[in-house]
Amino acid sequence: METVTLTIDGRQVTVEKGKTVLQGAIEHGIKVPYYCYHPGLEIDGSCRVCLVKIEKMPKLQTSCSTLVAEGMVVSTEAPDVVEARASVLEFLLINHPLDCPVCDKGGECPLQDFAYSFGPNESRMEFPRRVFDGEGVKADVDFGPTLMLNRNRCILCTRCVRFMKEVDGDAQINIVDRGYGSEIATFQDEGVHSLISGNLMDVCPVGAITTKDYRFKSRPWDNPEAIDTICTFCERGCNTTAWLRAKPEWAKGALLVRTTPRLNPDVNGYWMCDIGRFDYHWIEGDDRLHRPLVKMEAGLQQPADWREATAKAADRITAAGTGSLRFLISAHASLEELFLIGRLGSALGTPEDGVAISWRAREKPQPADTKFKVPPIDAPNVNGARDMGFPVKASSDGRPDISAFRQQVEQGRVKALFVFDPGPPGSIGDVSWVSQARASGKLALLIVQGALITDLARAADIVLPGASSFEKDATYVNYQGRVQAASRALPAPGDAQEDWQIFVNLGLALGITLGYTDSAHVRADVAAAMSSNAAYAGLADLAFARPVTAQHWLQASNPSERWKWDVMFQDLPPVKFAGRPDPSSIPTVIPLTERD
Amino acid sequence: MSFHPLMPYGSEGFQKSERTLMARGEPFAFTAERAAKLEDICSKYPPERRKSAVLAALYLVQEQQQYITASAMRHVAEFLRITPAEVEDVATYYVMFFKAPVGKYVLQVCRTLSCALAGAERVTETLSEKLGIGIGETDPSGMFTLLEFECLGACDRAPVVMVNNEHWHEKARPETCAKLVDDLRQRGLSALSGCHLKVEQ
Ligand code: SF4
Ligand code: SF4
Ligand code: FES
Ligand code: FES
Repeated sequence: METVTLTIDGRQVTVEKGKTVLQGAIEHGIKVPYYCYHPGLEIDGSCRVCLVKIEKMPKLQTSCSTLVAEGMVVSTEAPDVVEARASVLEFLLINHPLDCPVCDKGGECPLQDFAYSFGPNESRMEFPRRVFDGEGVKADVDFGPTLMLNRNRCILCTRCVRFMKEVDGDAQINIVDRGYGSEIATFQDEGVHSLISGNLMDVCPVGAITTKDYRFKSRPWDNPEAIDTICTFCERGCNTTAWLRAKPEWAKGALLVRTTPRLNPDVNGYWMCDIGRFDYHWIEGDDRLHRPLVKMEAGLQQPADWREATAKAADRITAAGTGSLRFLISAHASLEELFLIGRLGSALGTPEDGVAISWRAREKPQPADTKFKVPPIDAPNVNGARDMGFPVKASSDGRPDISAFRQQVEQGRVKALFVFDPGPPGSIGDVSWVSQARASGKLALLIVQGALITDLARAADIVLPGASSFEKDATYVNYQGRVQAASRALPAPGDAQEDWQIFVNLGLALGITLGYTDSAHVRADVAAAMSSNAAYAGLADLAFARPVTAQHWLQASNPSERWKWDVMFQDLPPVKFAGRPDPSSIPTVIPLTERD
Repeated sequence: MSFHPLMPYGSEGFQKSERTLMARGEPFAFTAERAAKLEDICSKYPPERRKSAVLAALYLVQEQQQYITASAMRHVAEFLRITPAEVEDVATYYVMFFKAPVGKYVLQVCRTLSCALAGAERVTETLSEKLGIGIGETDPSGMFTLLEFECLGACDRAPVVMVNNEHWHEKARPETCAKLVDDLRQRGLSALSGCHLKVEQ
């Protein structure tokens, strides 16, 4: 790596050649504000807030668009820089509504943060702000199926414009009526229609672009727990952060309030898709299984306890003949779960063609030259199943080819079928033929283990409630063959158990001792079994995230803002709900003074 | 797209932006002749910079149908292989592109400093009175549209009125505005003083 050494604020810093002064400063923890710069987008240089003084240059320079050079002497604190920067912030706030108390960005807003740190104390502007609210006109407008745009708050940094052009590949956002009337808009107000539109909320440095999903739902300081995990909704495996809201047990509503992307340059960069971001409501939805269900003679499913359900399952399997049990497994099964299924299968004597791996593949319409392609396969672990020796057969369009297995079932050659489908809904692919075979009596015993009460679960003789990928520590192999960890963010609902546990208990009921007491042990054995495969080298030591305390909420998210929490805002007061309130501390009241 | 089951599509429950939108207009396509002309203009730019021809394309639209419509912007976008949003960005920036039907003569009075000091406001007022229309409107006969413009670069001959984006009328006087309108009706563009630079040549 070729480097350049320069001086910033009297400090010698060494930066990779080709980087900008702003990037160098950020890398070394030197405070320079910025809005139009975003590490995932091209340089624009339009907001002017990153001004610095560079010796031998005639006037102040925008650090985001100035490349580092050997021997450069930069100052971010010279009096003229401080003054110019404050003026730029004053200008940026001329029309800004400062409605932070009702703004979704409040608490994680670079405009707030930088205005506090670098802005003037007061504005000298006395004329009315430019507002879009008026008779029959609203500042808040519909911005496509997922987003809202508040035109009053926009500071015209064009990050959203560049995101659509550069990353999405379809420049749907433009600036209309340029000049005093400049306004962010889409062609003929058609809104943003993109599979990765949610990222616009992340790139927008103010509360101008918000998602309809998260809007008015929570505030950063009410989300005291953020958990670094991965998305398991397709084979890409984007690195994400799951956000949990603080709420008393009895309060309505979900704990999980949003997912945001987490930087991983090799997998997802700064982005994630809208499916991964918004399709989480099922996790705490009404369709979750809370208790095991056992079908009674009359054909009705009754809730049962675990002992009863596993015993019943074992009895029925034994009655059908243990060797006749067949497995239909969703490619959402983690490495640990696949490993346990493999152990169970070999103990029961399941033949090679007695297991099928299924998933859903969908065409996801995206612009041809998009930089963020969402893979068609809606399952995180197709590669893991293949690596572990499961029969993974895919047809050319990405769909699973399980026709031979299906034939066995439809021709009545399978006596007992165990289906594992940990969700999301539909992600196992088409399984209506299983319910049909059960209904027509071709299949005598159907056991379903999963997270949701689906049509398939309704048809089952025994239903075992498992966990979603947000509720267990599990590992998956993405489309690049990368082993990644999804961390447990919440507990599974009701009596539902983590799936490794269900397999172990079912084994016990069948007289097979698998002998695991937690998923880390299973993982260690998977690692040992896969030791010949270099990609699995780190498997046993993969780190699982635990909730990050609220003081670092931004540290856990919003990668472009992350450095601020490392270098700038360490001294902020602790966040509500983080730790217990100290009864001896009497809140200080700011005295109101009359102004003359 | 069905990926957002929980989100209302369209304006359900949310207000739409009220910015002035151009009309959709009749389906638009360049005449063969204009398409060929535009293709020729495009060939002057490197292929990856094809969109540089967007101004020329919009002028051609205006030449063909007087003003810009949403359908026309879509057609231009397809022609130049860019998105309609990018075309709209440019079309809304330049005041020379008319966003609504205009009259045969578009009178654009400069309102920037030099002209303003020389009485441009009076000129606009008189024109408005004479035509019985306000700024931005077209008279009932469909002959005149009155607009304001920023500096036309002819400050030494202020106030200046530009007609149809290309013709000049310099040193406009409020007293003679009524006559100018009548003259335009009768004699057409030859009623204008023209650009002194051209006249002097
Ligand atoms: S909407 Fe947000 S990202 Fe887009 S220009 Fe405005 S402030 Fe920037
Ligand atoms: S691309 Fe795949 S892994 Fe990434 S967020 Fe979307 S569904 Fe999840
Ligand atoms: S960040 Fe440098 S000009 Fe905007
Ligand atoms: S101010 Fe009117 S032409 Fe310059």
